[in-house]
Amino acid sequence: MNKFSRRSFLRTSGLVAAGITGSLAMPGLIRPSLAQNGSVKLGCLFSSSGTMANIEGRLNDVVKMAAAELNAAGGVLGKTVEVIVSDPASDWPLYAQTGRQMLQQEKVAALFGCWTSVSRKSVLPVVEQDDGLLFYPLHFEGDENSKNVVYVNSPPASSVLPAVDYLMSEDGVSAKRFFLLGSDYVWPRTINKQLKGYFASKGIEPAAIREEYVPFGFSNFQTLVNQIREFADGTGGQPVVILTTVGNSIPDFFREFANQGILATDVPVLGLDALEADFEGLDTAALVGHLNCWAYLQAVEAPENDKFKADWAAYVGANNVPYRPDVVIDPMVSAYDSVKLWAMAAEKAGNFDVPEVRSAFAGIGFKDPSGYDIAMTADNNYVSRGVFIGSLNAQQSFDILWQSEGTPKPEPFSTFG
Amino acid sequence: MQKFLDRWGRLAAAVFLIAVAGFSGAARAQGTDAAALDRPGFVAGLCGGAGPMAQAIAGGLESLAAASPEDVTWMAGIVAALGARQLRCVEPGGLILTAGAATDAVTGATVSPPGSPRTPVLNLRSRGAVENLEAALTLLSSRDAPSRQRALALLSRRPDAVPPTVFARATDLAATTAERDAIAELSVIAALSSPDMPARLAAIAGLAAEPNRRTLLRLETLREDPAYGTDTAFRDTVDAAIADSSFWVKLSSVLSVAYNGISYASILFIAALGLAVIFGLMGVINLAQGEFIMLGAYTAFMVQEGVRSVAPGLIDFYLIIAVPFVFLVTALLGILVEATIVRHLYRRPLMTLLATWAVSLFLINLVRVTFGTQNLQFVTPSYVTGGFTLVGDFIVTYNRLFAIVFAAAVLALAWFVLQRTGLGLNIRTVTQNRDMAGCIGIPTRRVDRLAFGLGSGLAGLAGLALAPIYNVNPLMGTNFIIESFMVVVLGGVGTIGGTLIASLGIGQINVMIEPLYGAVAAKVIVLLLIIAFIQWRPEGLFPAPGRRK
Amino acid sequence: MSAATTPAGALPASPGLVRRFGGDGGFRTVTALVAAGLAAILVFGGALAGGPLGLSPYLVNLVGQLAAFALLALALDLIWGFAGILSLGHGLYFAIGGYIAAMHLLKHGFAVSGVVPDFMQFMGWSEFPAFWWGLESFPYALLLVVLVSGTVAFLFGYVSFRSKVGGVYFAIITQALVYVAMLLMFRNDTGFGGNNGMTGFSVIFGFPVGSAGLTVGLTAASLAVLLTALLGLRWLMTGRYGRLVLACRDDEVRLRTLGYRTLWLKLSVWCLSAVLAAVAGMLYVPQVGIINPRLLSPELSIEIAVWVAIGGRGYLTGAVLGAIFVNALKFWLATRAPELWPFILSGLVVLVVLLLPNGFSDAGREISRLGDRRGRGRTLESLRRTLLRERGA
Repeated sequence: MNKFSRRSFLRTSGLVAAGITGSLAMPGLIRPSLAQNGSVKLGCLFSSSGTMANIEGRLNDVVKMAAAELNAAGGVLGKTVEVIVSDPASDWPLYAQTGRQMLQQEKVAALFGCWTSVSRKSVLPVVEQDDGLLFYPLHFEGDENSKNVVYVNSPPASSVLPAVDYLMSEDGVSAKRFFLLGSDYVWPRTINKQLKGYFASKGIEPAAIREEYVPFGFSNFQTLVNQIREFADGTGGQPVVILTTVGNSIPDFFREFANQGILATDVPVLGLDALEADFEGLDTAALVGHLNCWAYLQAVEAPENDKFKADWAAYVGANNVPYRPDVVIDPMVSAYDSVKLWAMAAEKAGNFDVPEVRSAFAGIGFKDPSGYDIAMTADNNYVSRGVFIGSLNAQQSFDILWQSEGTPKPEPFSTFG
Repeated sequence: MQKFLDRWGRLAAAVFLIAVAGFSGAARAQGTDAAALDRPGFVAGLCGGAGPMAQAIAGGLESLAAASPEDVTWMAGIVAALGARQLRCVEPGGLILTAGAATDAVTGATVSPPGSPRTPVLNLRSRGAVENLEAALTLLSSRDAPSRQRALALLSRRPDAVPPTVFARATDLAATTAERDAIAELSVIAALSSPDMPARLAAIAGLAAEPNRRTLLRLETLREDPAYGTDTAFRDTVDAAIADSSFWVKLSSVLSVAYNGISYASILFIAALGLAVIFGLMGVINLAQGEFIMLGAYTAFMVQEGVRSVAPGLIDFYLIIAVPFVFLVTALLGILVEATIVRHLYRRPLMTLLATWAVSLFLINLVRVTFGTQNLQFVTPSYVTGGFTLVGDFIVTYNRLFAIVFAAAVLALAWFVLQRTGLGLNIRTVTQNRDMAGCIGIPTRRVDRLAFGLGSGLAGLAGLALAPIYNVNPLMGTNFIIESFMVVVLGGVGTIGGTLIASLGIGQINVMIEPLYGAVAAKVIVLLLIIAFIQWRPEGLFPAPGRRK
Repeated sequence: MSAATTPAGALPASPGLVRRFGGDGGFRTVTALVAAGLAAILVFGGALAGGPLGLSPYLVNLVGQLAAFALLALALDLIWGFAGILSLGHGLYFAIGGYIAAMHLLKHGFAVSGVVPDFMQFMGWSEFPAFWWGLESFPYALLLVVLVSGTVAFLFGYVSFRSKVGGVYFAIITQALVYVAMLLMFRNDTGFGGNNGMTGFSVIFGFPVGSAGLTVGLTAASLAVLLTALLGLRWLMTGRYGRLVLACRDDEVRLRTLGYRTLWLKLSVWCLSAVLAAVAGMLYVPQVGIINPRLLSPELSIEIAVWVAIGGRGYLTGAVLGAIFVNALKFWLATRAPELWPFILSGLVVLVVLLLPNGFSDAGREISRLGDRRGRGRTLESLRRTLLRERGA
């Protein structure tokens, strides 16, 4: 310490201070605002590594595909759409950090991202502080209504409850008892809380409901499937499992379920996050009949769907991305819808400023690959979507068992919480 | 479920019978048997949406007892086509579509393939009924022993789903006495409420012979029966049956827990064994161990693809064929890592941690960019799918059994290599005293390299054994790494026995805590117990002889 | 010649060596750099808020985060580089600081604005539980950070050092402990927000979150704490206490034979390191606006060791530079080439571990040593250093 020369210290400090000030100022100078180079930037916040990568990563490519489609049609407001892809690596705080970087550094016009509710909750404060826009393509637990998030998929009141109603109906299995199994975080917890409220309103005793949680990424389901069998063997009516595990816990659960010899006709499973892609690598012959519910299923018969599936197959072929060309899942369609909705709103607003784009949301919509006319509501950033209940078949995809008449109005806040 | 189906079945049958009453007149006029099946009506029902489909299926089940053999065969064909999604609906009637050829569902005549016919979708209610109908039809029409077995197994779980008359007919058709007995057992539910007391008592004994939670529940309801209060013989039989069943049910749940524990332990053991060998010998923790497990699974996948293209007939045995390939590939990779990186770090074990961590990061991402992040599509051979009921509710699943047997084989192999080969002798010598081993001329560096290869090869084999149980993707290895460490550290460095005991202990405790406090708490408690144990005995359960690393 | 058998550059094996070989030669430059950054932020902070200079609050925030990481790396370097004990679980203390800071911010925000945080809603709480008492006061929160992290470190350190758990065992056990903590915090029942953690901080010290003034203030605070820690540790480590710590790393048995109670020596460094890490967490969380169990993931804890290893173990400046270098590179690549990052990181680690056993701080010395070798060969001194290094690692 005593060898410190005060003069040299001050001199270095001064030089460095000047340097830092300069370098902090630099990016503002070398990065012109987006309007000047004739392109507009969109940011993607989907993990292509980590636990969610398997299922979430493909959404990056869907956004790119949708942007290419916009560009082929002349861009948006005469500007080329440029997609910036990041990798938050399934690390929730990193979503916030990357989101901030996208908004403040890259000056993106909108963000498209997040799968799990946790990641959305981490980006939320960022988009609210900087008044950005986040298009969120997953169905989720509801109870949230930010002006900076566009909830492209359905809250539970308009997707999960119809599916549960179906299970409780005679066409379903007249379900009387429920085993709620989920990953331990906010989406399963909130869904289950709302479900329990809903069951109570239907006169189902708490004793007929059992709730279990497993850690994120859990895979050893032996004991839990044993518990489900024990639960199923009890009295009180038809048991069903409502599964809210996510990621790789879905296929691991189903594999053990089938191996212990339980058929869908014994104990059906309603997999709320189960998608075609979760069954890649599984022999689904023993799982035929299990259910899921989404705003889109691959089996939809509509020209829009045929086009979307063909486009995706062509995109996979042309860009050599490591995903199956023949598997299309709801969040992919929702991510595609997100980009289209943003472009429509920007065209309507006449520029890319978030407040103006937001005020242009009311009423815009189009016929999306699900075959429904989806539309943004006037009173919040939710989108009216249709509802499908799918039944798993031996070809690792879902047949449509039931679909809603029209597009129910989304209710962000559950009355059963 | 059974009750529900039964109730619905009866109701729907009544509706169906009324509906077909009109047809029966016409049928009689044609001079055919009164019980002949209304084939067009059946097909129309299947194509008529959820309600008519349920009625048609239930009606079909009711009509089985009296249907002609031709009708049974015909119906079996239609129902199989429905299940296999080969049935198409056209106006009027339906078609069976197989590989481009189309036949009329009712007449069996070949017709031209239709434009875009509708495929009837089974809802859950009908699907259950179809499964029952299919099983009953199999019993009445099929000569194929395995499918008859499967049908019996399904019906034994839902004994009241099928009318007793069908069982009576099936008994007449039974091929063997064993099968006749099995069918007789299926009809005990009906006999339980029979007015004939000896038949009732026999039925109770029959139920007690198949003890599980469901039969126990059924037996317990008999305590509400009026006869229980009045008839002492009845009461004694019921009580004895309940006591007997509950013993077996309890035993089966104990066995279940033990089996789950052992299967979890076997996974821990094979994942940790390679690590233990390396750690014991070199004092080096290989943080890339999980990735060698992953690479083992990927190699198995490559072998599967190879077998598929070279010898498709052997595809069911690719797991066995893959064993030497997996071991060699991962062992060579291990040797490569040793020769390029670990070799330089023997005097700096903490730096090895970081270096092998970097290797693991590299391998994960290399696999991620070359193969993608999706789960690999493995063929699941029959010997690793499903399971069988051993006693009560204790189901032995084949994939876990495979892992247990595999772990035992790996244990034997590792023991043999370490105890009975020259390399093993060298490894043990170097583990005990590296400097002295060097002095007496053992090439310690070469031993290190081979041991590292052995450890990596064992990890690769773990990946092979895990492929039928877990998803195979680039991140699969990370799930095992911390638990494997704990097994190694708890077991004591470098002893196979210690690793075995530690994994059995950890597996069993985990499985016992899980139902009580949940899966997360089980892991937490077990890890905390191990950490506490290490504080108490830093060298683990079986401290290795020789100086402390 | 392999890196393991050649004499590498000097670890500051003793203060004497440090002085003779220049030791932490870059210390002055790095300290000046940090001080200058602090000064620049403070002087131009006002202008920043207004924005005429075009300074980006994003970059200021980034500097603040880097400072927090640097402090964390400093904490690990203290225990690993100087005391020779590798912890692969320092994320635990970082997260303790972070969680307490988050609790303080939520309670403080509630006290100021009266708005019930989102966090309480999804936890299903109508009021804060009893143990949140007093957390709206910053001094109390700070006290709690020191007490909790210190106590946890003390308890764990006491039992471990007493039963002489060390080396690889200690590293693995600390890793298991941080993993256990992560599993626990993932549980919603634990009461700290589960997997979601805590977010939605509205007000910090009366400033609304997201305001430029607050960004500048937090960054300045982080830099100030980092500067203080650098100077303080320099003073501590070149003094008698530091010499004892180094001696304990190099030959604990001899030190014990000489009558020193190494248990308490190691324990004190360990606790100091834990508290420093906790303070880093406390600085980090307000800047990123979220805390959740990811901070407890074993990978993050390994990464901290990687920063230190890359920068230079056993040098205060090495830890700081390593943390800043690695994280700045990571931030920079995040939107440019995210898929390259893992390859670069793993390549860096292997490179450093094999070629520069003491990180980039040694790079210059390694190169000059190559020139030296022809002339002088191995001196007794360099042999001694090799031995010390090998034992120390």
